[in-house]
Amino acid sequence: MRTKLTPANRLVWFPTLLVLLACVAVDAQAADAKFQVFLLWGTDDSKPPEGKAYKPVQPEIRQKLKELPLKWANWFEVNRVDFAVQQGVTKEVPISAKCQVNVKKLADSELELCLVGKGKEVVKRKQSLPKGEMLVLGGNAPNSTAWLVLLKRIE
Amino acid sequence: MDYDKQLKLQALLDGELPEAEASAVAQWLAQDHEAAALREELRNTRGALAEFEAGIQMPESREFFWSKVQREIERLETPAAKPASAPFSALWRRFLVPASAVAALIIAGVVLNRPDSTGHTPAAEIETALADSGAFTYRDYSAGTTLVWLSYPADTEVADNDEMGTVE
Repeated sequence: MRTKLTPANRLVWFPTLLVLLACVAVDAQAADAKFQVFLLWGTDDSKPPEGKAYKPVQPEIRQKLKELPLKWANWFEVNRVDFAVQQGVTKEVPISAKCQVNVKKLADSELELCLVGKGKEVVKRKQSLPKGEMLVLGGNAPNSTAWLVLLKRIE
Repeated sequence: MDYDKQLKLQALLDGELPEAEASAVAQWLAQDHEAAALREELRNTRGALAEFEAGIQMPESREFFWSKVQREIERLETPAAKPASAPFSALWRRFLVPASAVAALIIAGVVLNRPDSTGHTPAAEIETALADSGAFTYRDYSAGTTLVWLSYPADTEVADNDEMGTVE
């Protein structure tokens, strides 16, 4: 037996479908975003400073950093933190004793990042960061070296 | 002539008086001309009304007419019935109209903000609120990497010579 979709039925089913679609869309938007944040140290030396057991950065990240206009030859991983953020929530992620990042998921791929150094807001930035992309904040460090805070979206 | 006597005359004309009383009234009529005149007047009036009523024809039977009157009385005496509750589908439809409008807006918002082939949303223009006026931004679209180079820490802030002393 086939059921005919009368205009009255359509009047009920079409809005129902719309509401269901909206629920799915909202649910997809509300999914957690997963990130990795790295604190990196850049130098022309081939070894980390004495007394520090920094590991060289992952090959994938080293390759990405090579493509950026940065003059340092070697990059070492000082710290790494994995975290997830819910839609509309700000996650405070300490990456060292002096430095932390605050990440807020605004929309599906949009986020707001705030870098806090020594308790002061250094930079606040809003941008789109789809899966696999990276946002790198950096600056000069003593002895012609550099620091980087690298935020990578993994999901 | 008082009112009771007038009623007696009417009752006589209508044949409602007992035989003994009817003969008493008849004797009274024979002696009282005013009463006789009133009886004639009542008789004429009755005759006129009977002729008038004879010309009126009801469009329906007597039983049907009275049953209509009875039904109308019963209808007025019955308390007004409560309005029938709306069926579920009507209530659902009433909810769906505003809900679908909201849903359409949400879907439009999601579609408009959907990332393009590079994964960037149309509305996601990079916005920077920098306290650092010496900062610059470099974007490598092929690698999907954004670099923000800051003048932080300012040269005067570098107090120690430790590597990473500023952020670590």
